[in-house]
Amino acid sequence: MPSENAIETINLTKIFTSKIPNGGGFFRRKAVTVNAIDNINLTIEKGELFGLLGPNGAGKTTLVKMLCTLLPPDSGTALVNGYDIVKQQMQVKRSLGTLFSVGERGFFWRLNGYRNLEFYASTYNVPRQKRHERILEVLKLVGLENSTFQLYQQYSGGMKRKLALARTLLPDPPIIMLDEPTTGLDAITARNIRDFVQHTVQETGKTVLYTTHYIEEAAQICTKIGILKEGKFVAYDTPEALKAKIKKDELIYLAVEDITQPQIEKIRSLKGVVNVTEKAEEEPMPGQRGLSVELQSVDQLPEIFDFLFEQKIKLVNFKREEPSLEDAFIELTKKA
Amino acid sequence: MTVQEELEKIWYFTKRDMISFSTYKTNILILVFTAIFGALSFAYLGQTSVNQLVTQTYHTSYTSYLLVGLAFNTYLGQALTLVQKTINPWALEEVLVSPTRLTTFIVGSSIWGFVWSTGVVAIYLLIGVYFFGVVLSVNLVGTLIVLALGIATFIGISMIGSGILILTKQGDPVSALMTIAITLFGNVLFPPQALPLGLRIIAYVTPPYYFMTCIKFMLTGSTIASILPNLEILALMCLIIVPVGYAIYAWCLKTARKNGTLSWF
Repeated sequence: MPSENAIETINLTKIFTSKIPNGGGFFRRKAVTVNAIDNINLTIEKGELFGLLGPNGAGKTTLVKMLCTLLPPDSGTALVNGYDIVKQQMQVKRSLGTLFSVGERGFFWRLNGYRNLEFYASTYNVPRQKRHERILEVLKLVGLENSTFQLYQQYSGGMKRKLALARTLLPDPPIIMLDEPTTGLDAITARNIRDFVQHTVQETGKTVLYTTHYIEEAAQICTKIGILKEGKFVAYDTPEALKAKIKKDELIYLAVEDITQPQIEKIRSLKGVVNVTEKAEEEPMPGQRGLSVELQSVDQLPEIFDFLFEQKIKLVNFKREEPSLEDAFIELTKKA
Repeated sequence: MTVQEELEKIWYFTKRDMISFSTYKTNILILVFTAIFGALSFAYLGQTSVNQLVTQTYHTSYTSYLLVGLAFNTYLGQALTLVQKTINPWALEEVLVSPTRLTTFIVGSSIWGFVWSTGVVAIYLLIGVYFFGVVLSVNLVGTLIVLALGIATFIGISMIGSGILILTKQGDPVSALMTIAITLFGNVLFPPQALPLGLRIIAYVTPPYYFMTCIKFMLTGSTIASILPNLEILALMCLIIVPVGYAIYAWCLKTARKNGTLSWF
């Protein structure tokens, strides 16, 4: 059933119940329920690179496992490529490629990279005539073409993750879910994977659901971001819009020469200036001071420049400070 | 999903296991030597007090009786543990998210184990025939029927045990009890008729006895008609245990998925 959206969840809920010791007595246990996914409504459009962010235990992996049919929902449902994750599991599985955060453990250590992929190609019904070609193609795509016949147990951590990525791409699914694909990888390998994912989306139009702990990683590549906390979305927008949501006042940075403390106080008293703080971390040159000026509006900027000109204070650097996505993440998860 | 695609998957499951297995060269050597020395050692046990009982019942020597019992015991052991081997949580999750049926997964993961067991059985029998003068008179059709029923029954039992293991994450009591049943009551080392009546009853209600009894008759020149009562009981057990085992395994798998504990081991 073709659909406008790649992924759509409708009041999706998953509750886990566990038994924990309850005071005295070896056998005394009490049931504790956790709403791992709490009534989530999410829409990911086709061709979108959607970043799923959240602190540990927020429900990111649970959501991925539900979408790939591994975990059945307790209530609500989801459509993947237009197919219901409960009623049309086989169609959902055919529409998806999933990379789990510990995906490399599903490989067979005594087989080489090629044989591992050959096995998974059969489980994903990759046509036999195209199988060999496709395996070599995906190995090349992830940069493992020179390690095709190397035993899996001899692969490095980065190579194992790349092979897991190759397995995800093997059936050429329209939707890819990557659960923390760069966790535990060195900076260069992580960057290669990020670049690869971004190019794949741009060139093939595939939809990617990308979960990560790394906020800046999501900011770099994702077109839209959802922040999950305790099974609920606390924010859901473009990276820019999320940053804007926590923006209260305009923040500018000034590096100035020959300014005195009374002059700083004077700036602080100017109309529309909320606060002025010294920023030692910016490390200006000797004789210079770094000031962070909080303004009610950017319209107050000319007044500040006029003052500097009048007082013959030399302005050596100026920049407008943007809140980072990390600020947004912390602010939004704190609020919720 | 066509039958051809599913058959092809089964072939790739087998190929995967064959390649993995062939890399454990030391293990292969150990297994071959275990089989050879096992056969040599037990062949000397032919002079025991159960000789007469064996000769009267099966019209063959105790050596032949023992050798056939031990050889086919490897099939039962293989069948009992094979489903357990498939529930490695990581591989299980990876296969379950692919468009592959549960039955394909179980059958595909089993084939290589049986191919290897067949090789072990052949080693036992060849040593018996060439070194100890064991005379085999094989009823091929009967042997294949008994093998099919026996293996299916034990896969069913294995599925019950593995299902429990998926939920409990600890031991598999079903397979453990069945291993004891095979050794003591399975007609492997001695006929259960040599046991006291109370213990003999246990033998008569467990599948290993019927499998071993039928297979021994089929390798010593008896006709299918002569083993029909035992064969019917084995077939009945198979008809009950296989669907029950599959249902329990599928239910346990579903429950673990629902609880999110599939990869907890």
